[in-house]
Amino acid sequence: MSGLPDDPAEREALAGEYVLGTLDARMAARVAAALPGDAALRAAVAAWEQRLAPLTALAPPEAPPPDLWDRIDAAIAPPAPRAAIASPAPRAAIASPAPRRGWLSSLGLWRIWAVGATLAAAAFAGLAVLPRAPAPRYMAVLVTDQSQPAWAAEVMPNGGLHLAAMTSVAGNRPQTPQGRRMQLWGLPPGAKTPTSLGLLPVQGGQMTIRAPSVRPVKDMLIMISVEPPGGSPTGQPTGPVVFFGRLTAAGES
Amino acid sequence: MPSGTGGTETLDALLVRVAAGDRAALRAVYGRQSTRLFGIAMAILRDRTAAADVMQDAFLRVWQRAAQFDPARGDAQVWLSSIVRYAALDVARTRGREIPSDDPDLGDAPVEADALDRLSSAEDSARLRDCLGKLEAKNREGIVLAFVHGLSHPEIAARLAMPLGTVKSWIRRGLLSLRECLS
Repeated sequence: MSGLPDDPAEREALAGEYVLGTLDARMAARVAAALPGDAALRAAVAAWEQRLAPLTALAPPEAPPPDLWDRIDAAIAPPAPRAAIASPAPRAAIASPAPRRGWLSSLGLWRIWAVGATLAAAAFAGLAVLPRAPAPRYMAVLVTDQSQPAWAAEVMPNGGLHLAAMTSVAGNRPQTPQGRRMQLWGLPPGAKTPTSLGLLPVQGGQMTIRAPSVRPVKDMLIMISVEPPGGSPTGQPTGPVVFFGRLTAAGES
Repeated sequence: MPSGTGGTETLDALLVRVAAGDRAALRAVYGRQSTRLFGIAMAILRDRTAAADVMQDAFLRVWQRAAQFDPARGDAQVWLSSIVRYAALDVARTRGREIPSDDPDLGDAPVEADALDRLSSAEDSARLRDCLGKLEAKNREGIVLAFVHGLSHPEIAARLAMPLGTVKSWIRRGLLSLRECLS
């Protein structure tokens, strides 16, 4: 019916090859076209996707270009029609008691903070992307020893830490020195020695640490040091600390 | 808790909100997944501009099709990476065979044992690694080159210096023994 073979075993193998990606354009298009109307084929494809999914871990993560979200955001505009007809009460799985008001008021605070930070940081263009970010609880702007903002760190409500490079007006972004790695450290208030939070990607301006080895709390000092390729061999910063900043509540600045 | 961050929500719950037209939820999905997904697109396309275009298309599809995601039927990360992979594969196919199969940037010998060691120790990954380990080396390499790097049958044949027909049947046999091994 769809130009696909009728033999179930053949169709099963075809589903596997579709997911693997080895079908040529014509055959892949046939499978894709058959999927909406063929529940068995859909199930076979979904099963192959699950089976082979762990292989995606072999692709090294890489931060996309910093302007990519803005492009996506622009591409899905305008928000009105879908949002307007969307059910006002999201499905039960969502735990957000009073979404609208909470979101808006925290967004307001966030904007006030962001404007202050923008003024303080004078001409740093990288901040322009920040007001789009969802409201964080705590954040830090990591600066160089020349007080130049270089990284924005924010604590996600689940306790994760997100780090994003900031771009200066001159278009500069923090660079990893050749043959070295930058390592992230957290020093909670009262602690004597910093704890490693992980290595930064060699290139790429973003990373998220889902479960930081030390809980990011208010007033924690966040630092980035330059280390050998495998990271600090001693568990403490061995190279120069090139960026640092302190976590403060968004809105307090 | 502000609803916009999605910080404590599962990806499943975020996708439910995306399906309802919630842009902040899409932003949260992007924030959590874009580095992983961009890496997947880059492994196939090896071109940041093309990979960024693919990501844009893929997130448009996520925005439009989030309602089709069914947590009961699969994992959200797998759903997202599949969308990105298919979009990247489409581009790789239409781009034709410009990329020589001996491209040095293709990845460092994906068949080496330590490449498979990069698979996480999560249960699914460990089982897949064990099952891949039971395949013949070239067969295993063919599957990894296809899935991770988006190589077509002719490209794999060229890279492994094997006849095209042999590669096709090997890979198919390899897939079926993987399925059997994983079941």
